[in-house]
Amino acid sequence: MTPIDDLKDKVAIITGATKGIGRSTAILFARSGAKVIATGRSEDAGAESAAMIQAEGGEGLFIRQDVTSEADWKKVCDLALSLYEGLDIVVNNAGVFMVKPIEETSEDDFDWIYRTNVEGTFLGIKYGFDAMRKTGRGGSIVNVSSLMGQVGFPGASAYCATKGAITGLTKSAALEGADITPQIRVNSLHPGVIWTEMITDQFGGDEALQQAFIDETPLKMIGRPEHMADAIAYLASDQSSYVTGSELTVDGGRGAD
Amino acid sequence: MASQDLAGKVAIVTGGTRGLGLACAQSLANAGANVVITGLNEERGAAAAQSIGASTRFVRQDVSKSDDWPAVMTAAAELGDLDIMIANAGISNFIPIDQMDLQSFRTLMNINLKGAFLSLKHATQAMRSHGKGGSIIMMSSVMGRMSAPANTHYSASKAGVRLMMKAAALELGAENIRVNAVLPGLIHSDMTAWLDEAETAPAFVPVKRFGLASEIADTVLFAASDRSKFMTGTELVVDGGLLAR
Repeated sequence: MTPIDDLKDKVAIITGATKGIGRSTAILFARSGAKVIATGRSEDAGAESAAMIQAEGGEGLFIRQDVTSEADWKKVCDLALSLYEGLDIVVNNAGVFMVKPIEETSEDDFDWIYRTNVEGTFLGIKYGFDAMRKTGRGGSIVNVSSLMGQVGFPGASAYCATKGAITGLTKSAALEGADITPQIRVNSLHPGVIWTEMITDQFGGDEALQQAFIDETPLKMIGRPEHMADAIAYLASDQSSYVTGSELTVDGGRGAD
Repeated sequence: MASQDLAGKVAIVTGGTRGLGLACAQSLANAGANVVITGLNEERGAAAAQSIGASTRFVRQDVSKSDDWPAVMTAAAELGDLDIMIANAGISNFIPIDQMDLQSFRTLMNINLKGAFLSLKHATQAMRSHGKGGSIIMMSSVMGRMSAPANTHYSASKAGVRLMMKAAALELGAENIRVNAVLPGLIHSDMTAWLDEAETAPAFVPVKRFGLASEIADTVLFAASDRSKFMTGTELVVDGGLLAR
């Protein structure tokens, strides 16, 4: 994670920043001189993320947010506008994961994963657009989908459905964002297997499992949250100024076969 | 991007004497890389190398000819171990199917598809010999995923590059040789000079403008650097939203 010049003084909301990819992204953005609003559901983990942001000498804070709540999105965007006088970047990273065969997936299971992953992202785009219009500087929205938003995976039909929805949502939002003046870019990131709590909570965190993931990956390495932070920084910054509506897959080559 | 991301790295950019290739070579050099650019036109190549900077070398090359490759690889080896290959050289023209003679089809395929393969092959050999891995970036196009009339050969060549990239990524991943493709949309260059941007961009491009060669170079820089070290087999679309609808 090397700082990226183009992020200096940009105001960014990063959801799900209490751990994993979101936390690493918040740290990289802070290191790069961005003003970071890190959000998530856990106050304790959020306080840790805020301390990490400040340890980078960066400007930023944690605010508790449930991404499925419109009221919370209003609160977070209002904070960006009042405290940092604008909004340039939204990273819709918050997401939940579940592995269950189709016949065992209940309606409640489906609603739960759908609300966070799809409605949470939709609201982030909706309220992000609104705050960016008020700011008047254009902007960039990065939606964290998944390799499973591009290909199927047995036992993950509900998760794949939500991540595929983000892929489509991103393209439509990119077309609408292109018609806003100044323009707002919208892209999706598609991580492969990234060694985070999302994986270890589901499958356990033992070394044999990690080795199995490494063996399955053409680059023969495990994905780390820091790798995703670098890709998100590329999509969020002016480094990708002509990129919108695109899918960026960063998966060690898993999806290439 | 931090300015010296590629300090001391060695890169080859085929078709690096103008347009997208020149912009890529310039960006790589600005980031600290030592660059060999190749192309057909000696005069233009010499001028381009000089404009990029003192450490830049030009080697005349037809990418589709195996015999032209050793001189390029030797020039790169003199700068150090090869880290980056930008397989960029390509041509474009529009010919309807029934007017396309086999020679026209073959000329474009030789440069765009066989040239890309020879770039991949020589980069692989060089990167294997030093064992430190590397990053190979193949210039495909949005035309490798969609198409237009009178574009059979060009679309076939760019779709071919896209899939060749994926095969190579799978084959070379274990050696930490990453292979990715960039898919530009309509970019300001000699290749699009015949198009009227004011008319074409609003009709085809959601962001209603053509891209700049420097915007392609920014993406190439991301793919060339360690910022993308977990990325291989990927298509980086840089098209102002063209493929999104």
